[in-house]
Amino acid sequence: MHDLAAFQRAFGAAIARNDQSPRDRALGRALAIHRNTSAKAGQDALADNFPVVRALTGEQAFVACAAAFVEADPPREARLCLYGEGFDAFLTRYAPFAQLPWLTDVAWLERCVVEALFAADARALNGGDLAGAIETSAVLRLHPATRFGAFRSPVASIWRAHQPDAGEDALDHVGWRPEAALVTRPLAEVLVTEIDPRAIAFLHACAAGKPLGVAVETLAGGEVADIFSTLITAGAFA
Amino acid sequence: MTCTAGLGLKTQHLDEILTSRDPGLWFEVHAENYMVDGGPRLAALAAVRDRHPISIHSVGLSLASVEPPDPASLRRLADLVARFEPIAVSDHLAWQKWNGVHHADFLPFPRTRAALETVADNVQRVQEALSRPILVENPSLYVDLPGHELSEAVFLTELARRTGCGLLLDVNNLYISASNIGFSAAAALDLIPGDAIGEIHLAGHDADPALDSRLLIDTHGTAVAEPVWELYERLIARIGPRPTLIERDDRIPAFATLMTERARAHNLLGRVVLTDA
Repeated sequence: MHDLAAFQRAFGAAIARNDQSPRDRALGRALAIHRNTSAKAGQDALADNFPVVRALTGEQAFVACAAAFVEADPPREARLCLYGEGFDAFLTRYAPFAQLPWLTDVAWLERCVVEALFAADARALNGGDLAGAIETSAVLRLHPATRFGAFRSPVASIWRAHQPDAGEDALDHVGWRPEAALVTRPLAEVLVTEIDPRAIAFLHACAAGKPLGVAVETLAGGEVADIFSTLITAGAFA
Repeated sequence: MTCTAGLGLKTQHLDEILTSRDPGLWFEVHAENYMVDGGPRLAALAAVRDRHPISIHSVGLSLASVEPPDPASLRRLADLVARFEPIAVSDHLAWQKWNGVHHADFLPFPRTRAALETVADNVQRVQEALSRPILVENPSLYVDLPGHELSEAVFLTELARRTGCGLLLDVNNLYISASNIGFSAAAALDLIPGDAIGEIHLAGHDADPALDSRLLIDTHGTAVAEPVWELYERLIARIGPRPTLIERDDRIPAFATLMTERARAHNLLGRVVLTDA
């Protein structure tokens, strides 16, 4: 009866189904404490990993949303600093935020920031490394922290308006337009940079291992030197 | 052994930690926060390690699970331990994993002889992966489960005897368990063999505001309570000084406030007179 596997199956199921009225009152209280502690840990991790979404929705609405996400997609491993994969997709289905479709984009960007923060270390390629002639057959390797995407909302500007060095009214000055965003970690801090949308195809080509001469064709019609300079300055390559 | 007092590493205090020169000061980190590929957090830990000893406290090996510790997690922990050479590596007498879900808490189980075999197997797997003994901590208990065959003290003592692991005695957890379940914390404390105890934890707790104010919850959100300090003094008078950690994970005060609390443990450790000596 007290076989460990059977006990864990029953206890885990009781926590998961939020059984409010088990026959044993003391056991019910303990289950409630463990359920609360475990759910709060997941919610706190989401709050840490999605501070801009949290600021945009307000604390109360975020807590309710985080609780719903933790229930739908609980942590699968102990590293809660990496918890929150899929939160952006969850937000598209979360009815209370249906009027805020751009929250999904912000959540996607914040997820990239978390991934960038804990990605492997590598020295970022800088302008000096490329001072000489670059062979068109060379392949540029993305830095392990580099993430990028194009969105219908101004994600990079919204994110930057929430950083400590932004002014209090920075969010009011964000122009509502599509933005492509680049997430990098050239030194100790994660950077979010707005990039020319054509750079996205170029970064995809580099990620796919295309030689520079081929990858650069994606930039046809753009300011190639400017785009390239932005990517190098941000530390997109290793 | 570094038989002095340490603090949990809080990154918001990093600058003060890096300049602090207090004798014997060491820092403990939760392993899972650092089991990552790279980045500034690992770099900060390396900077702390250059100046102070550190201890690695895991909160996720799920030692009391029927399934053995996840090999990928063990590998990451082994890498961390190899890189930072901590004074101690520890986890809890509890489980977290069930059906693919990780419950970020320390869940209880009936302490049967069969469970002892399972936990001992898991502890041995961890020790083999790390090539060193670990310490196993008593968790806070909120219910007296039916089906226990062994007391916590006997279970832990037997686990240490079988696996060669040491024990991390969390005096606050013991106080909470005793209060919630209804046994004498002092009597239970006296049963744990001193030579197995490799580290001591001290932390604050709160009465449960929502469910039942008679229940104490292990929140790590307040200063260490006086009855916990009394138990601590009783313990070190019996077993002698041990590395002692002041844990604080919620409502984190200024570094100086934590250092004042740490000084109390440091001073007690410095003037221990063994009662049996």
